[in-house]
Amino acid sequence: MSSAAEQFLRDAATKSADLVHREIIRRNMDSYEAAHQRGRSRIKNWEAARRRCQEIKREAIEHLDKYLLQFEEKVIAHGGHVFWAANGDEACAYIKDLAVSRNVRTVVKSKSMVTEEIHLSPVLEKVGIKVWETDLGEFIVQLRNEPPYHIVTPAMHLNRQQIRELFREKLGEDIADADPQKLVALARRKLREAFFAAEMGISGANFLVADSGAIAISTNEGNGRLSTSLPRIHVAVTGIEKIVPRLEDLGTLWPVLATSGTGQPITTYSTLIGGPRRPSEADGPEEFHVVLLDNGRSSLLANAEEREVLTCIRCGACLNICPVYRNIGGHTYNTTYQGPIGSVLTPHLRGNDFQHLAQASSLCGACSSVCPVNINLHHHLLHNRRDAAASGNAKASERAQFRLWRTAMLHPGLYRLGGWMMRRSLRLLYGMGLAGTVFDPMRAWSRKRTPMPLPAKSFRTRWKEGLEKEEQGRGQVGNK
Amino acid sequence: MATSNPSREAILARIREGLRTPAPPMEAKTLDGPIFEPVQNPLERFQQECKANLMECQVTADASGSAQVLAQVLNSLPAGEVFLQDDPVLRRLMENSGSARQLQWSSQGGPAETAQATVTLADALIAQTGSIFVSAACGGRGASVVAPCHIVYATARQLVPDLVTALRTATAQGRLDNHSFACIISGSSRTADIEKILVQGAHGPMRLVVILETNS
Ligand code: SF4
Repeated sequence: MSSAAEQFLRDAATKSADLVHREIIRRNMDSYEAAHQRGRSRIKNWEAARRRCQEIKREAIEHLDKYLLQFEEKVIAHGGHVFWAANGDEACAYIKDLAVSRNVRTVVKSKSMVTEEIHLSPVLEKVGIKVWETDLGEFIVQLRNEPPYHIVTPAMHLNRQQIRELFREKLGEDIADADPQKLVALARRKLREAFFAAEMGISGANFLVADSGAIAISTNEGNGRLSTSLPRIHVAVTGIEKIVPRLEDLGTLWPVLATSGTGQPITTYSTLIGGPRRPSEADGPEEFHVVLLDNGRSSLLANAEEREVLTCIRCGACLNICPVYRNIGGHTYNTTYQGPIGSVLTPHLRGNDFQHLAQASSLCGACSSVCPVNINLHHHLLHNRRDAAASGNAKASERAQFRLWRTAMLHPGLYRLGGWMMRRSLRLLYGMGLAGTVFDPMRAWSRKRTPMPLPAKSFRTRWKEGLEKEEQGRGQVGNK
Repeated sequence: MATSNPSREAILARIREGLRTPAPPMEAKTLDGPIFEPVQNPLERFQQECKANLMECQVTADASGSAQVLAQVLNSLPAGEVFLQDDPVLRRLMENSGSARQLQWSSQGGPAETAQATVTLADALIAQTGSIFVSAACGGRGASVVAPCHIVYATARQLVPDLVTALRTATAQGRLDNHSFACIISGSSRTADIEKILVQGAHGPMRLVVILETNS
């Protein structure tokens, strides 16, 4: 097992037993769930909306080269720059060199998962640039020196008391009653200084609109607006898969993203930016750069079976509904993208060390059922399991167990005998008072759960009896 | 400065190579009918949605009514400068409001950090989501986000039923060819990052006031 996999199992065990964490997540998810349901009921035909979004994103991905070039041409025509980065290092180097050559001392960042993916902030900090995360949730996890816990709600794992403590320690002000309103006001005051001081604003993009040559950013707080309005340079860092063909496509994508993300009908600020400030405009950055990141996406595109994973709009709905995510929490994944989409995507972006994430699923399919672009997430998790097994990375003991299971399944007599022996020996073991000890093969299950009672009869016997009873019953009905 | 782009061709080549294998087809499905409930009465719907978005929508009958509302809103704010989109319509409105505040016009640059309010026009109003559609033409980028209060002066004729119509019109009019920025604003700035509790006025305006004139 890779050390990442072992770490995952350890963290998962700790987190799922952390009662404070469980309570915080439960409350957050309950309120998300209520808002999400309300939001969905506002859309007349939710299934048609999902289908439309799926079609738009599929069309974009199937003609990715064409639409990216159309986007690029427009951005350049509007006076912007487009940089194509094969990987994170290229993207970081471009942004760092740009910042250094323009004497940038302070950067304000609005929320961007892609900049987390390429670890941009440490690269900038190394050359002495101060980086401020300006999304409140991101600001909080930055102060804690932690990665985001969730792709939409980065500080979901903290309650107001913990945030009060953090602000007291790091910002030197104590909000005695931990009132969220006052905590937000404090962060607003601190970050406002940064907004007006920064020379460079870095944002992500939710969509790249090909026919308009514009990036689309959805934010509620307005930090995305300020970081792309006030500094003299704006850099948008985004994956190549964010493209959509037409501006009017956002008429469906925006409401669906907001509904799936937070339950809102539309995000407060749905912003479109197509270039630097024009001479006739009152304000805005003098320079506009878009960094288009590949970083493994083109290999995922070449995998026709899994290509649709690139249509993800990062709404977070699959995380929120996932029973595994709800129990182990976002940090346990140890990845930029968590939950079902993270488990599917990460092995493609970061390689074999993350194959174990395909197991972080009960395959219940809840993720696929909520995905607003109809990505068949749990099937992709199965594909990843298959690929992991085929790559020979499975444990020897696991391979042996499956060989045994296969033989038993192919020989019903053997299976029956195995079942009979198992029941017998367990009864004997439990009779000796060894239940729950190291000798108990069911210990892995019963250590943290109520032990299962031993059945008196085998499943086959009960099944047969049930069938006979049913037949008798049917006979009686027929006789009436 | 032309951007040096050493990886551009390689990325494009990889994309083209990858796309040579077709993706499995989408499941055949026909889902007829509109996705969103068609908007019957745009004015009524706009007002409802404004309320849901925690915006203040004040409907006025004419320009003098609008000037009065503007005066009331400005009077309710703490002392300080007001930033305005430099447009003859707003110059007139401001004059008629009789406000004695210090003014800054967009022709002199973006709003100052200390501005108490910004006053702008809108390109359109969207009934479906209770949104105002602004572009850089509406006083620039900071005009709708820097001050604690943003006041929008619009007329009922600017109402469009839904988002798709608004975006289609924007494309037809080349909005993003002519301006570097546009935004669909649906409420005051807000956050729910702490325990999912809604707090208004995160980084942008705490108040968004629409003065909607029906008879101009
Ligand atoms: S996979 Fe689907 S549900 Fe999950 S984040 Fe992406 S779009 Fe949302």
